[in-house]
Amino acid sequence: MIDVFGDPWLLITIVVGLFMAWAIGANDAANSMSTAVGAGAITPKQAVLIAGVLEFVGAYFFGKSVTETIRKGIIDPSQITEPTVLIYGSIAALLAAALWLLIATKFGLPVSTTHSIIGGIVGYGVIYAGMDIVNWSKLGQVVLSWILSPIFGAIMAFVVFKAISKSILQSKDPVKSAKRYAPVWIGLAFVVIGTMFYIKTLHGKELATALGYGAMAGVLAFIVSFILLRNHVKATDPYWSVEGIFKRVQVLTSCYVALSHGANDVANAIGPVAAVYAVATMGLAGMKVPVPRWILAMGGLGIALGVATYGYKVMETVGKKITELTNTRGFSIDFAAATTVLIASRLGMPISTTHTVVGAVIGVGLARGVKAINKDIVKDIIISWFITVPVAAIISAMLFKVLMIVG
Amino acid sequence: MQVWTKLFAKSPFKPMTKHAEVVLQTVETLEKAIQLWEEGNYEAMRKYALEVDRLEDVADRIKEEIRDSLSSKLFMPVNRGDILRYLHMQDKIADAAEDTAKWLLVKEPNNIPVEIKECIVKMAMESIKAAKLVYEAIVQMDTVIESGFSEAEIKKEYEIIKQIESVENKIDGLDTKLMQSVFENEDKLSWGTGLYVLNIARTLSNISDKAKDAAERIRLMMSK
Repeated sequence: MIDVFGDPWLLITIVVGLFMAWAIGANDAANSMSTAVGAGAITPKQAVLIAGVLEFVGAYFFGKSVTETIRKGIIDPSQITEPTVLIYGSIAALLAAALWLLIATKFGLPVSTTHSIIGGIVGYGVIYAGMDIVNWSKLGQVVLSWILSPIFGAIMAFVVFKAISKSILQSKDPVKSAKRYAPVWIGLAFVVIGTMFYIKTLHGKELATALGYGAMAGVLAFIVSFILLRNHVKATDPYWSVEGIFKRVQVLTSCYVALSHGANDVANAIGPVAAVYAVATMGLAGMKVPVPRWILAMGGLGIALGVATYGYKVMETVGKKITELTNTRGFSIDFAAATTVLIASRLGMPISTTHTVVGAVIGVGLARGVKAINKDIVKDIIISWFITVPVAAIISAMLFKVLMIVG
Repeated sequence: MQVWTKLFAKSPFKPMTKHAEVVLQTVETLEKAIQLWEEGNYEAMRKYALEVDRLEDVADRIKEEIRDSLSSKLFMPVNRGDILRYLHMQDKIADAAEDTAKWLLVKEPNNIPVEIKECIVKMAMESIKAAKLVYEAIVQMDTVIESGFSEAEIKKEYEIIKQIESVENKIDGLDTKLMQSVFENEDKLSWGTGLYVLNIARTLSNISDKAKDAAERIRLMMSK
């Protein structure tokens, strides 16, 4: 470990990075677990505990130990020749993204943390080197993801919910059908989770190995749930019993979501910190830098703090207010969102988890599953997606200008 | 404030069930009033008739609340217009009960032939059946949605609707019979008592009419 306190800029970056991690925890972690909390599968307290621990574990143990200093190659790093620009830029981008996330969280809008940091990077990049520095086709992909993610999420959730309700809810004897088909659905969900665990959490590349993990998890989940359902489910109110089955699965899917979120989104907070660290230690601005473990730990801690301090309040309101969501619906949303993200990322399509989840909620609504969705809020959410990159860019540009003058 | 709490808006089905419950109470109270009326216990009858009026007010308030929350902002599994028209009809059931109660209050009748009195009590009993079935129908509608519009649950809903229609038919029959007996007994009745009895019968049969209209709306809600 180098002398952190010897370099004021590194210290500032770490503080700002911590702030960003906190904002990610406050905005995102609550979003990813709200379907489970809303459907009553877990209590707000449990959600905060699970999210806090698993987000940290995901970030620390499964966060990428080598990260791109400039997320997703959105600007051309070879055009940044002065190390100080990278330092000021990283701070500006982080601070802008974190501020935007804070505003979005205040207004209760689920925005993409990745898009926020992308906006921040574009902002300082353009101010420093002009429009040419931006990789416009990459940015185009981000724009495309605003459209694709919710549409795919909606279609997938529509299909999943229709299939679950056709095979279980609409059958003559829902409990009997649940015992027969629920293990299939649970197994399928775990195929997705297993595959994603390899690709997104362990950052593996091979599809065959990934599918191997997936198949293993799926078969295991199928067998376990088959046996448990056979012996432990009693038929009282049929729909209530079916919901009870999916309730338990939702707990597990939520755990997975938290772990995977920690592993992936921690990069949004620590990527720029790692960039500054590289400059401070090696004096150069490389494209990819190794990230020391303690920076990952710091990112994980920041996210966990965000969940604990702000997330709790959010989860509590969610738990009290979404009473209209049932476990089969929640499961459909989670399962559809995960599957969409997995397939789309394998196909190389740009997709955002947050956006997909919102699309999935609407998909279940279209399948006549959700009793009432507020159209106005959907409009607000979509607007917030479109302004995330520009707003973060503008804040970042201004901060960068100030830093260049002051620094 | 957080988006997930706002994204899932409060569904109107629970408050609609609550409204149906109050409507049922209104009709049940009316039936008690009519029983006391038959016995000639006008003092006690008046208390119940006034209670009908109060309950109708409660139903009205719930209706207004549901209407206010059912803005076009909501995206629901059933047509918003159908819900609003259904609610309107369900509320009309309580209105009709209140109308009957008003007629009960206007005079203390003497010398009404027993057969006419019996016919009115029967009509009141059937009205309760109609109101109870409407309550069952809206509870079942919730189950229909819960099951993701399952065929089996939709079939159960149709059964309830059919029962409402048959109750309405029965009351229509009683209504005709009552009109006939009023004219058969025209020598024994003053014109005022005749008008009084006929209006009680008309408002009572209105209860089942509106129940039928409400059921019709539920039928529309299930198809899309």
